[in-house]
Amino acid sequence: MAEQVRAEMVANVFEVDVASGDRVDSGTPLLVLESMKMEIPVLAERAGVVLDVKVQPGDVVQEGDVLVVLE
Amino acid sequence: MTTVENRPAPSPRPARPPREHDPRHPRTRLAALLDDTSLELLTEDDDSGMLAATGTVHGAPVVAFCSDATIMGGAMGDRGCDVVVRAYERALANGVPIVGLWHSGGARLAEGVLSLHAVGRIFAAMTSASGRIPQVSVVLGPAAGGAAYGPALTDVVILGPEGRVFVTGPDVVRSVTGEDVDALRLGGPEPHGRRSGVVHVVADSEPAALAEARRLADLLGRHGRAGDFPVVDRDLAVHLPESARRAYDVHALVNDLLDEDSAAELHAKWAPNIVTTLGRLGGRSVGVLANNPLRLGGCLDSTSAEKAARFVRMCDALGIPLVVVVDVPGYLPGVGQEWDGVVRRGAKLLHAFAEASVPRVTLVTRKAYGGAYIAMNSRALGATRVLAWPTAEVAVMGAVAAVRILHRRRLAEVAPELRAQVEQELAVEHAEMAGGLARAIEIGVVDEVVQPTGTRTALAAALASAPPARGRHGNIPL
Repeated sequence: MAEQVRAEMVANVFEVDVASGDRVDSGTPLLVLESMKMEIPVLAERAGVVLDVKVQPGDVVQEGDVLVVLE
Repeated sequence: MTTVENRPAPSPRPARPPREHDPRHPRTRLAALLDDTSLELLTEDDDSGMLAATGTVHGAPVVAFCSDATIMGGAMGDRGCDVVVRAYERALANGVPIVGLWHSGGARLAEGVLSLHAVGRIFAAMTSASGRIPQVSVVLGPAAGGAAYGPALTDVVILGPEGRVFVTGPDVVRSVTGEDVDALRLGGPEPHGRRSGVVHVVADSEPAALAEARRLADLLGRHGRAGDFPVVDRDLAVHLPESARRAYDVHALVNDLLDEDSAAELHAKWAPNIVTTLGRLGGRSVGVLANNPLRLGGCLDSTSAEKAARFVRMCDALGIPLVVVVDVPGYLPGVGQEWDGVVRRGAKLLHAFAEASVPRVTLVTRKAYGGAYIAMNSRALGATRVLAWPTAEVAVMGAVAAVRILHRRRLAEVAPELRAQVEQELAVEHAEMAGGLARAIEIGVVDEVVQPTGTRTALAAALASAPPARGRHGNIPL
């Protein structure tokens, strides 16, 4: 089942660490957001394969925006 | 019981095991909760729908009661509720923790208003015991209506895999609102562990749920004393990333600050930007409250402030000292937050700390900014002691953010390509003027700079420097 990883808060995309097709484990950093003057890693909650990366560095995301889709 | 002989002929479905062999028999569940051979029944094993017992947990006395899921799905009537009220009277008289095991569809319909009145008496008993003895609930099956609010009134709620908590079940929801939902999605581990905050601990099996109840009854009920065990120091700074801008998961720091394998986190997935963990430091029970920068940058928001406030009030009421680990950039800005009552709910945390009489020590690891600085057990709110690591910043806001406001006009006049550089220069100047940690010590809002390698002993000593005390208030489920 596909799982959408969403932004918890308004942020800039600082860095993207995965690409479509990558295998990730629980705790693998998917990307880094920048908000409140901090760099905040977004980690995979469970193991899976990256189906889609919806953002690139420099993008502004709103709370609830989909960042990455995991299978 | 004479009703057994009068039952209709067995249905084609496989027959249930006889009641005494049913794994849901309350005596079986109570025996699994309590230390081996320690169970002594406090009430008759009859058809009241509840059973109460005394016994021990890790050697310390407790009182426990359990719904009888083998009779009418554990429905609660007048006599069953009497059992619970008697259990509370005994636990209060002995000053010991009480553990409730729940598996009940709610009030006994056939008894009418009498059963509602009876369930209400349980709520009154729980409330009058609140803050006086630890109350732990374990939900092992459905806990609907009155059986939902029973656990909800207690200090800690543990949910087993079959546990479902709701006021009205899926059928009623469907018929009234048209929402098609099953019991799992309405009141299972996912909604209550992550969204509602009703449940403190989610367990993946019934034995695991009972083991959690034993652990929490022990932490909440058997506090130990300062100096029970030697406190060994270790370098806690290894859990921070190199860059001060980088967020990290604070769990490793919290768990390492506590004695090995003693950490029991509450509300792990709800409002994860603040961590509330019970554990031991040198053998003594402590509650640790810590900002978690990995989630929302560690900002306080309306939900996390409420979660923290309830934890602080529970620890204070039960006499468990607090360690507050601070790395907070501020309150989360946003329309949603304001409309969600971040002012009202944030005020709960201020109130909780300002009224707390239990020993409570603050440790600033990286930064404490703005209103969130005040809320995280600051000196002004009555912290027993405020410690800071050498690299900690205590300020109204970060220096760059401050100069952008203080020097807005001057910066506007600077050529854009030079702006970042000028900002940096002004920030350094501002940080010197504002005074940083040295100034915080001078005005008395930080007591002492401690090294990460000496933090465990410093925290234990600071907690021991205040006389043991507890708040005189209940633990309303904020």
